[in-house]
Amino acid sequence: MVGALDDLRVIDASGPIGHYAGRLLADLGADVIKVEPPGSGDTARSYPPFLPDVDAPESSLQFLLLNANKRGVTIDLADERGHDLFLRLLGTADVLIESWRPQEAAELGLTHEQIEAASANIVHASVTGWGLTGPRAQWAYADIVGGAMSGVMTLAGAPDGPPEQLPDLQGYRCASIDTAAGVMAALLHRDASGEGQLVEVSMQEALSMAQETAMQGADILGEDRVRGGALAFRLPGLGLYECADGYVYMMAAGLAGSGFPGLLELMVETDEAGDLTEEPYATFIAESMNRGLLTAAAQDPATLEELMGTLEHIDEIVCAFLLNHPKQYVYQRSQEYRVLVGMVSTPQDISNSPQLAARDWWREIDDPGRGRTLRYPGPPWQLRGTPATLRRPAPLLGEHNEELFLEVGLAAGEIGALARAGVV
Amino acid sequence: MAARSTDAATDGAADGAARPLDGLKVLDLTWFGAGPIGTRALANLGADVIRVETEKRPDGLRIGGPRPLETTSLNLSGYYNNFNSEKRSITIDLTTERGHELGIELVKWADVFVTNMTNRAVSQIGMTWEQVSAANPGIIGMYQPMQGLTGPHSEYLGFGAILSTVCGINGMTGFEGNEPRGSGTNYPDYVVNPIHLAIGVMAAIRHQRRTGEGQLIDMSQLESSVAAMSGPIFAIDNGGGEFRRSGNRVTFAAPHGAYQVQGDDRWLVLGCLTEEHWRAFTALAGHPQWADDERFATLAARKQHEDELDALVGQWAAEQDGPEAMERLQAVGVPAGLVQSASEVLADEHIVERGYFVYPEHAEAGVRAYDGPGFRLSKTPHDLRGPAPLLGEHTFEICTDLLELSVDEIADLVAEQVLF
Repeated sequence: MVGALDDLRVIDASGPIGHYAGRLLADLGADVIKVEPPGSGDTARSYPPFLPDVDAPESSLQFLLLNANKRGVTIDLADERGHDLFLRLLGTADVLIESWRPQEAAELGLTHEQIEAASANIVHASVTGWGLTGPRAQWAYADIVGGAMSGVMTLAGAPDGPPEQLPDLQGYRCASIDTAAGVMAALLHRDASGEGQLVEVSMQEALSMAQETAMQGADILGEDRVRGGALAFRLPGLGLYECADGYVYMMAAGLAGSGFPGLLELMVETDEAGDLTEEPYATFIAESMNRGLLTAAAQDPATLEELMGTLEHIDEIVCAFLLNHPKQYVYQRSQEYRVLVGMVSTPQDISNSPQLAARDWWREIDDPGRGRTLRYPGPPWQLRGTPATLRRPAPLLGEHNEELFLEVGLAAGEIGALARAGVV
Repeated sequence: MAARSTDAATDGAADGAARPLDGLKVLDLTWFGAGPIGTRALANLGADVIRVETEKRPDGLRIGGPRPLETTSLNLSGYYNNFNSEKRSITIDLTTERGHELGIELVKWADVFVTNMTNRAVSQIGMTWEQVSAANPGIIGMYQPMQGLTGPHSEYLGFGAILSTVCGINGMTGFEGNEPRGSGTNYPDYVVNPIHLAIGVMAAIRHQRRTGEGQLIDMSQLESSVAAMSGPIFAIDNGGGEFRRSGNRVTFAAPHGAYQVQGDDRWLVLGCLTEEHWRAFTALAGHPQWADDERFATLAARKQHEDELDALVGQWAAEQDGPEAMERLQAVGVPAGLVQSASEVLADEHIVERGYFVYPEHAEAGVRAYDGPGFRLSKTPHDLRGPAPLLGEHTFEICTDLLELSVDEIADLVAEQVLF
């Protein structure tokens, strides 16, 4: 079996905002060539944490993660000879991914028009903080700036603390995911017509959908959602709860699954249901502990007032039950009873996940250049006919200069001269 | 017919221009967020996406909001409508024998079948991969349950809020020691899982067009989510040391964070990603001496003294007008922005000039804002050309044109509650 893109070559000249896009295309089978500046290489090569006992610039784990499956060359694009070499390489490619702001592209002589002129029918993907047009096209960007300006960050955090960024550079990640999707759509058109085109992604726009309901709330109701917004009172079985060793999130009411009665069955099994199987609680739980009624109660102070004592008592017993057990236990046992519960995983919990292990999700790959075997996360999907594969480790800086420069027609002597001049 | 948008989102492409997935037929049995937003991207790329729904058990987002006050119509939820633009909606009860037969007819019609229901629900409606591929051997089957088709947790239940905790968002967001609140949203539902879905489907379409072969895609929402935020996991697995939640900090830059400015709960974000950014910031802040202070002279030193650094930046920020500070920082090349509310994003001059939000007219909800495309294509546009469907809006047309039923047959099926 072969990958869906195994006949394609992608030049990835992007910075950290675009790394994951190239990685996704590589996983689908494309021959992805990372182009980095000579010297210290891509910016992300300096991002901690580092692989122990390996020297810079080969040890950044963030760089290794997002650039595995790619080959790598170094070219100084600002140098005329480097520019020519880059265009030669581009001539062998089907796709270019880059992240230059318009001014940077112009300075490099690599605007979309220039790229199209040099390499007809290429799919050219531009991924930046703000897109290529509009009053902020030339502005600087960082992941956190995308999160803030897209309306996503205002939703995260506690009311008495600052708005919070999402983990592991989600602005860059979403921009990259949209870039890969755009490249896929453009490739389908190119397959049919032979025609290339520009794919353009703005991180601010790529993140906007992650505002959830906030945009519609502002548009329809004229109200802005704020971070940490919570009901005046916690409805039993809904929300974040503390366990013996961490937290779980519960949705044990309505919508799906067995709801609160299912949770009660588990508590009965472990003999921790207290008096919840007795009246008046038993009937209340069986007949009224569903999301509709509880939400209505929460919105109507009078009803809530009436129920408050009952709800508080139920919640106390739930809290006591949860504090007696580790989160993994609560998560797995509740799910056995078809109760919607998730445990708040740490990175270590995910690394140890029995489900991910059972599905052979992790990939081990030998990285001889760094002298060890590395454990990588798997792909986002299992494509049974055209599987995603991890075929090579992240490139050492300039590792494939010689093989690729020879391929595009440079003589060995010319490569040596370019290297001595610092162009490659 | 659906109203046309102004199509400001795509440069150089006239409204009505050919799109890359024109002619593609998608049978959409998804609901909530992670599935529908993915099939929406396919629809906005030109595919004919038919969503099968029921009145008996409508998409939870049709019931939810935001919606105009004191309304309950299943057609007025902005949450649903934003995620389903340009799809057609047919209401069939697939749990009836005749309904299932019609469902299978739609499977035979489709190039792509998509569902994000639980494996159990998929079995109950008779749409497992075995059943779908038996009816249409060339079809692509995208199955996107929470934890995949196999494994000990494959029957686990959840929505985005459950998945957010299991995949690590809550455990990695915020400050060490604080309650793990996470993103405040069902984050993986909105970009990560749906657009990964669209990529996987398009990869399979490429293979289908080259070979005529369909395939099964087993997409675990958990795996897809972890794949997109696996930096800390990859690090602990490969000797990078322990993970600690660090709020708005990053390992590779300082100062980096959100700093309160003048006004009511207003926040400026900035990230000094390079030494140039840091020097430019200190000069602009009127404290060029910070750049030479041994506590802050290098990134390593700034990381070591980050509490002191953030306190100083915070003191400076507290005196600033947010928008003005952002403009001044950007003028000297420092990445900076404001924590914007949704209404500010809707009115953001850059967003507006780029025509990101689209305002199609919906028969019941009127003219409302929809998110535009997350990526733009210069020649074959990715754009929104219409609103979300009313529940069952296209039942009659699909039954007559596609399923070739007579009006009498349709009337009987409605009476039997197979169709609504």
